[in-house]
Amino acid sequence: MRGHWLSAAAASALLACGLAACGTGTPNSTAGGLQIWEGYTGAEAKAFTHLLAVWNKAHPSEKVSYLYVNNDDSLPKLLTAVKGGSQPDIAYVYGSWAPNVAQIPQVVNLTKVVQQPGVDWSDFWVGERDVATVKGEVIGIPALVDNLAVVYNKSLFAAAGLPAPGPDWTWNQFVADAKKLTIPAKKQFGTAYVTPGTEDTVWHWEALLWEAGGQILNSTNTKAAFDSQAGLESLNTLRTMAVTDKSMYLDPSDSEYANLFNSGKIGMLVTGPWDLSGFPNVKYGVQIMPSFPGSSGGHQTISGPDNWVIFNNGSKRVAAAEKFLIWMTATPQATYFSLHTGDLPIRQSVENSPQFLQKMDQALPGVDTFVSNLGNVKQARPQLPTYPKVSTILGQMIVSVLLGKTQPRAALASAAQQVNQALASGSSS
Amino acid sequence: MIVRAALARQAGQPWRTRQPGRPARPKASEQAAGWAFVTPAVVLIIVFGVVPIVWSAVMSFQRNNLFSPNTPFVGLSNYRQMLHDPVIGQAITHTIVYTALFVPGTMLVGLFLAVAMNRKLRFISVYRTAAYATMAISTISEALVFIWLFDPSYGIVNYLFHLVGFPQQQFLNSTSEALYVIVIMTIWGWTGFAVVIYLAALQGIPQALTEAAAIDGAGRWATFRRITLPLLSPASLFLVVWLTINALQLFDEVYLSTQGGPLNSTTVLVYYLYEQAFGGANFNFGYASAIAYFLFVIIIVVTAIQFRVGRRLVHYRS
Repeated sequence: MRGHWLSAAAASALLACGLAACGTGTPNSTAGGLQIWEGYTGAEAKAFTHLLAVWNKAHPSEKVSYLYVNNDDSLPKLLTAVKGGSQPDIAYVYGSWAPNVAQIPQVVNLTKVVQQPGVDWSDFWVGERDVATVKGEVIGIPALVDNLAVVYNKSLFAAAGLPAPGPDWTWNQFVADAKKLTIPAKKQFGTAYVTPGTEDTVWHWEALLWEAGGQILNSTNTKAAFDSQAGLESLNTLRTMAVTDKSMYLDPSDSEYANLFNSGKIGMLVTGPWDLSGFPNVKYGVQIMPSFPGSSGGHQTISGPDNWVIFNNGSKRVAAAEKFLIWMTATPQATYFSLHTGDLPIRQSVENSPQFLQKMDQALPGVDTFVSNLGNVKQARPQLPTYPKVSTILGQMIVSVLLGKTQPRAALASAAQQVNQALASGSSS
Repeated sequence: MIVRAALARQAGQPWRTRQPGRPARPKASEQAAGWAFVTPAVVLIIVFGVVPIVWSAVMSFQRNNLFSPNTPFVGLSNYRQMLHDPVIGQAITHTIVYTALFVPGTMLVGLFLAVAMNRKLRFISVYRTAAYATMAISTISEALVFIWLFDPSYGIVNYLFHLVGFPQQQFLNSTSEALYVIVIMTIWGWTGFAVVIYLAALQGIPQALTEAAAIDGAGRWATFRRITLPLLSPASLFLVVWLTINALQLFDEVYLSTQGGPLNSTTVLVYYLYEQAFGGANFNFGYASAIAYFLFVIIIVVTAIQFRVGRRLVHYRS
């Protein structure tokens, strides 16, 4: 009897211990190694673990171990870990979360670190540096960069008797091509747009807004600036395709468009390099974004960079984490990572490596256009903690126009009013 | 102790203490052993059940966004915010409309199939398994299949509409139709559950009763209406309560197919709560907790009403 009692008690004690995470913390020492949270799978995971192994071999006293955390879930997990005092030393964080992450007290300010000799901060693309910087403070080191360009189906263009789009094409051309590529009997659409109303809906439009010469917010991020001629022009362009010509397939699921493109049902897609590997069945080409004739915006595009962020677990661990990240994102490692994953290079100097573009394009056809398109990233989305709210409002505005529920002018005015309200209440609280 | 008492009662003996006149009290070592055995389960329930429930109640009175270490108490402000939030009103309407269609819809389809399968047919177990399969299939596969079925351009449903000459519909792309597509999707998903419950209840109806009705000259419909349905009423009450609770907590299908859109037309309470807590980078845990408690109160009230009304309508055999 006594024996049973004891073992049951021991079991519950163990359980309670496990729940309370009885563990050994090593405050301010790199013993036990640094921990990094990342969400890599497939080729990315392979390349990343290879680089980790190289680092760990050379730095036995500052070993880095990784923990897989799905990137989509990393922010809530990080916040919970921070509350419990068990944050990792480094974490991969979406760039759109940067302003929110910057509010966490444990996030390390890297402003001085990136100015150290040998880091060459300006070698990172301007779009990346903008997203890593919140209110003048650098809070992250770029981990990934991408951008939007137009992927088109070469066979459908040929069948419609259309010439392939050139680098100086315009939105008028895009709209006209989309119309010609639309064949209702074949259920074939000129183009597609993702309409869940999330940030994915929003940033596609933001590229158009910038190309038309517009801005999302004013220069001090205090008022909406998109209710402008440029805003109207960009929304009208989308509306023409979605409502008037019906040449645009609207995808509320945010996933079908890729399958449809790969099945030869869609002529052109505005999308990023991550989708290319999903198009093995069609002969596709890639072209930079069209421009609006007469606009100062040119062929610029939008980028969604992500960051490595360091959390403070004591000065020694922070120093080791900084050293590791500087190494990890240096040109040789960045080159290795791009060549083995097809991810766009996070540094401009990576392109200087011999035959870099050819090698990239061999691995993933068309990716070279995305690489050179990085030079068309001229600005970043507003770095504001209230941006997610702004994004929600813009998402509703775009979807209501595309579904033909609201006219662009009215939609812009109503969204601008809501954004102004959100910005005002966001800054006061 | 309860088990021993119950066993004794079942055996027809009064449960007697070992020493009459003194209260029954197990030895201290037995009591300790009992506690040791239940402790792991109790700890789990407290940590993963009671603590979050109480904590979210506390959070619903705080301004709590996970980012800032300050979580000041703000009284009823989160609850007051709900009064001024236009999306909450929409979410409540959608939740009510959805529940009002989903619960009777699932029960009717389930009852129809159960009655159809409550007889000796060849391959009956294949049919029964097929009906229950809808319950076993993961919600993700279910949602993906329905997204394609109801795709405005490539879906089979619009193709069938075209064959019969119905106008083409926008379904999940339409603010007026998307919610109904989700109703159909979830009715399909829950049919298996209703079928199993109704089949079990149907098998419990004594044949003597239906035979007696037939001898008295009752037709099939009259027998079903006067004998079968009343005898199924306890199962029906269970289904009403259970399906309603689940309907009020609809989330998966919305998350997978429309993410609350287009234009909030499928935003139901739990989805909105999720949006507030985890969507974008909101992390409005205070406000989300307040919505959760509001929903909790609704579910309690609705269930209480169902049981009260049910007590009058349900026919229990003695």
